[in-house]
Amino acid sequence: MTHQGARPVPAVEPGPPARRGLRNRAAAFRHPGALAAVVPSVFLVGAFVVPLAGLLVLSLRPTDALNNPLPGVGLDQYREVFTTSYLWGSVVESLGLAVRVSLTCAVLAYPVAWFLARSPGRTSRTIVFTIALSPLLTSEVVRSFGWRIVMSGEGPVNSTLQALGLIDESLPLLRSPWTVFLAVVHVLLPFAIITLTASLTAIDGSLLRASASLGASRIRTFLRVVLPLSAPGLVAGTVLVFSLTMGIYVTPLLVGGANQQLAGLRIQNEAMVSFDQPRAAALSFVLLVVTLLACAAITALGRVWERGNRG
Amino acid sequence: MADARSTSRRVLAAVPLVLVCAFLVFPLLIVVLSSFSDRNSFRFPPDGWSLRWYGQVFENAQWLQSLSVSAQLVLIVVPLVVILGTLGGYAVGAGEFPGRRVLALIFLAPIAVPAVMLGLALLHQLQGAGLVGTPVALVLAHLLVTFPFCVRVAAVSAAGIDPRLNRAARSLGASPLRAFLTVTLPLMRPGILAAAFLGAVISLGEVAVSVFVAGASGVTVPVRVYSAVQVQLEPTIAAVSTLLLAASVLVIALLDRFLNVSRLL
Repeated sequence: MTHQGARPVPAVEPGPPARRGLRNRAAAFRHPGALAAVVPSVFLVGAFVVPLAGLLVLSLRPTDALNNPLPGVGLDQYREVFTTSYLWGSVVESLGLAVRVSLTCAVLAYPVAWFLARSPGRTSRTIVFTIALSPLLTSEVVRSFGWRIVMSGEGPVNSTLQALGLIDESLPLLRSPWTVFLAVVHVLLPFAIITLTASLTAIDGSLLRASASLGASRIRTFLRVVLPLSAPGLVAGTVLVFSLTMGIYVTPLLVGGANQQLAGLRIQNEAMVSFDQPRAAALSFVLLVVTLLACAAITALGRVWERGNRG
Repeated sequence: MADARSTSRRVLAAVPLVLVCAFLVFPLLIVVLSSFSDRNSFRFPPDGWSLRWYGQVFENAQWLQSLSVSAQLVLIVVPLVVILGTLGGYAVGAGEFPGRRVLALIFLAPIAVPAVMLGLALLHQLQGAGLVGTPVALVLAHLLVTFPFCVRVAAVSAAGIDPRLNRAARSLGASPLRAFLTVTLPLMRPGILAAAFLGAVISLGEVAVSVFVAGASGVTVPVRVYSAVQVQLEPTIAAVSTLLLAASVLVIALLDRFLNVSRLL
């Protein structure tokens, strides 16, 4: 489930690769692995590649007055996306949310991931692991519904604040952008925890003991040893959380309502409420490209950081 | 004194862990608690407790239909995605062929594409074929969403297999297929099981892609919750959500019995 590559596979082929000729190359495609790849590949082409290609074509279609796609190819939809403030603005707004959510998740993931990676107790680990994964393994609708109750007028937050005498009338928490932010962090935190745990588990414990025996404080050990060594997991988790935030729509819709400037919500709205599928398609490709570019930037920053650590 | 200091330090270090865990569990706990409330409100704490909302769920034809749709869907999706995921995971995890790494990226690609986009793409594609609202549409949507996760766990499992075992089987005269079935497949068992449970949990909760292709007849439990929450909050939704939660917990508990999940993810 993490976004790190599969474990390195030991080389199997006998003989140096230099001696492999064309015939061996053809034979390589007859490896059972290549045969096994056929069925899933066909599935993925049919269920993923072809529909996405169809969506790309749709995004290039002009539309009539009723938003029905017309034949022809043009960039009208994209021009519309970049010049309409509530469409392009929603992408910008999503970028802002994604930055805040991924930074928050990175910070909150550390204590949990550290415990999962380092705790000796099997039972306590299982408990924390189940808790850490519980939001991931619960339907998005259930979690969003939970936040609706938590933040509602008579919900636990408002009734606690009233009981403490801090407020007289219940706060309209559901209309606050902070509620949506919290709900999105809640949905995506498990992804950050999982990727970070994988990285922290791989850290050699003797490095920590060495750092401590050389007189480094715990904070110094964390900053100089743990943090740099966990960089790959941190970057992988941030990329994952970032890209998932960019496209999120169910949680914001259910928690905060349809009137929010978020790209995922706009796409859903254009497609299912305004029935303007070509425009929704164009906006979703803009969102995808912006997301991929941002993720490439995060990965590049992570590389620079890792290199700086090594140097 | 040093002992007391290290103990207090350890307690202090546990505070962030406990806080984050509380944050993660709190909304789910609230859903479960409010499903047992005896009033038609979400007052906290509830005035009294009852099971009446569960009774209402099981008397409501719409919820019953959704429960049955969700259950049938899991039973169809899980075997299919396990086959696809096992083959795909074996290919990218243990395969030796040009382009294996690229294929691994392509298999995981549906995770990188926003669900709203996957839903829209499937909707557009299936509209042309007149399949929106049919079981085929829902099965395809669920397969697409579960597939990358299943491939991932199966690939980790396949990559951990010592390739010499397979070569030994081949040199003893087993055909490639026989070697795959009798050596590789049993060794991939933890990954295959994990793929099955993961597929079941994800399919049970899937909503983001399903709402695009579900139509009026294929309303799964999460899709019905999705529509109901937007109209009005009522405790029957909490009861249904708790049932959904219980189903996921059951699946995870079973999974943990069969293998150490934390090592696989």
